[in-house]
Amino acid sequence: MDAQGQRIELSPHCSLTPVQARRFFLGLCAGCFGFAGIFALLGFWPVLPFAGLEMLVLGLALKFNLDRRHQLQTILISENEVRIECRQKHRPDTQVVFPRYWARVKLQRSFAPSHPSRLVIESSGRALEVGQFLTEEERRGVARQLDRLIGRTGESPPMGSA
Amino acid sequence: MANSAHTAHAGHDDHHGAPKSFWQRWVVTTNHKDIGTLYLIFAGIMFFVGGAMAMVIRLELFQPGLQFVDPQFFNSMTTVHALVMIFGGMMPAWVGLANWMIPLQIGAPDMALPRMNNYSFWIMPFAFILLLSTLFTGSGAPAGGWTLYPPLVLQGGDSFPMAIFAIHMMGASSIMGAINVLVTIMNMRAPGMTLLRMPLFCWTWLITAYLLILVMPVLAGAVTMLLTDHFFGTSFFSASGGGDPVMFQHIFWFFGHPEVYVLILPSFGVVSEILPTFSRKRLFGYESMVYASAAIGFLSVIVWAHHMFTTGMPLAGQLFFMLTTMLIAVPTGVKVFNWSATMWKGSLSFEPPMLFAISFLFLFTIGGFSGLMLAIAPADFQYQDTYFVVAHFHYVLVPGALFAIIGAVYYWLPKWSGHMYNMTAAKWHFWLSTIFVNVLFFPQHFLGLAGMPRRIPDYSTQFADWNMVSSIGGFGFGLAQLMFPVIIWNCVKGGAKATDHVWEGTHGLEWEVPSPAPYHTWESAPSEALIAAGSPTGH
Repeated sequence: MDAQGQRIELSPHCSLTPVQARRFFLGLCAGCFGFAGIFALLGFWPVLPFAGLEMLVLGLALKFNLDRRHQLQTILISENEVRIECRQKHRPDTQVVFPRYWARVKLQRSFAPSHPSRLVIESSGRALEVGQFLTEEERRGVARQLDRLIGRTGESPPMGSA
Repeated sequence: MANSAHTAHAGHDDHHGAPKSFWQRWVVTTNHKDIGTLYLIFAGIMFFVGGAMAMVIRLELFQPGLQFVDPQFFNSMTTVHALVMIFGGMMPAWVGLANWMIPLQIGAPDMALPRMNNYSFWIMPFAFILLLSTLFTGSGAPAGGWTLYPPLVLQGGDSFPMAIFAIHMMGASSIMGAINVLVTIMNMRAPGMTLLRMPLFCWTWLITAYLLILVMPVLAGAVTMLLTDHFFGTSFFSASGGGDPVMFQHIFWFFGHPEVYVLILPSFGVVSEILPTFSRKRLFGYESMVYASAAIGFLSVIVWAHHMFTTGMPLAGQLFFMLTTMLIAVPTGVKVFNWSATMWKGSLSFEPPMLFAISFLFLFTIGGFSGLMLAIAPADFQYQDTYFVVAHFHYVLVPGALFAIIGAVYYWLPKWSGHMYNMTAAKWHFWLSTIFVNVLFFPQHFLGLAGMPRRIPDYSTQFADWNMVSSIGGFGFGLAQLMFPVIIWNCVKGGAKATDHVWEGTHGLEWEVPSPAPYHTWESAPSEALIAAGSPTGH
């Protein structure tokens, strides 16, 4: 919280830096392809495509998990407005401002149970989704926090109450 | 309970947030606790299915002569028993425990890839339906042993491709589980949870996941080559076409030996959690335990051919595999001494998890010592394919891995359910299990040394007495296990309320959340002070 209001920064936590992740992945590739390569050289080549497939899945899993680190959403909630600044790799920074009194927070469940919910801040027909990269659990936590800070349409809870 | 834990679970003292419908809660769930529970229930069912097969084996071996089943079915029982216990019981049990405990222990809200987590679980039931359905094919279930050696396994009839496909599915599930654990531990640790602050259970699982990643493609390749040899005219393992059947053994054991460590390494982690708690001390030599686990993991991939001393290996090869195998005793010894030192002058108490952990310590060591005997190449020529080998690996896997799994369930069950279980019943479970497991497997050492071959339904009358003793032990052990689901069921349904820390000497983040663990945990990362206080070293 700063002097003008509340500040929430949403960014996925990653223990690995990209360099560490690359080293980790390359180390595993070296081991896996090393053994598979030996078998392939001995004529037992079917081990190789399975090793490749496995490393592909691992690589994608790591990339998917690490890609999140490039996203940063800052939600600034002051007495009168809710300002959302979004930063993302390869995209220009964006900024959206809602009047706090008329804004509300909605956690929309997906039609399909296997799909993630969506956390949306909306006001006067405009809406912005935040926290897409969060886990379901994290998203629910943020929704509760925002709900306390922003309140329903037509109300502005006291800033200290959260 | 620490303040940050309150922050993490404000308004979350129960299963708030859990989906209401059965479909959402238990079928399409992505919650690590629910998926962990599914894995554990599945593993429990598979333990009893595999156990029932073991009962058939022991019943047939109760007396010499063919009593109840024909030799083909007997061999199917030994084969499917092994596949079910290894891939259906042990592996899913460890993955279930990893699902439940790793996010809790490292301060992560969930596994890194929750959707893949769900898929990797749901592959398992289909794989085992496929495998068990081979019992109803015209040719019967696979009977060539879990090692699937060609050319014997190629004679399996209709069951052969079904079993291979089932193994592929189990492998895919294991790989997905391993990738999930690996990415979770590497990338989802709470800020401040450095690698050398992680609980030993996470460390051993990290090494286990590495091993799985390294060796699973080898298994997949090996069984695929069996399939192409049989159906597509290739000759990878067919001598008549210029292939080499012994190479299958090399490839299989390159997977198979690390697989044993995949089953036992998490046991080391669990025992390293339980012993300090009930000794009211920190784990002795935490870092050396980490390095010993890594050393065991490394050595496990360079010792595979000790399973093949009798295949006509060059002397240099025998020496290499004999010495590297013996080398494993060094890091394993470090562990055993560290566990003993942890208990030394501790304020010990003997609750059921501690009893199982101590039993593990003694009985796994017996399995380790018989492993050393088997590692001696000239002696192995005598032990090869006898009941001594059966006794050895069952000591490693039953009072070793299985006791660690049971100990882990008794250790964390109050945290999961919010209730204490019936301690007296659990202690009865322990004593009956420990006594009968020795009655079951110890005589098999004598049988093996006397020359009784494994995988036979009938035997010479000289082996009759110890086989009868072993079968009585088997029936007793099997019956004693029926107590386990009853104790768990009663605990889940009710019982004394568990406190947040449950046991007196606990350390670690999982004990900082309420009991029962809320549906969503660590939505906000735990504080660094909490992480430091809960780390195995205390700083």
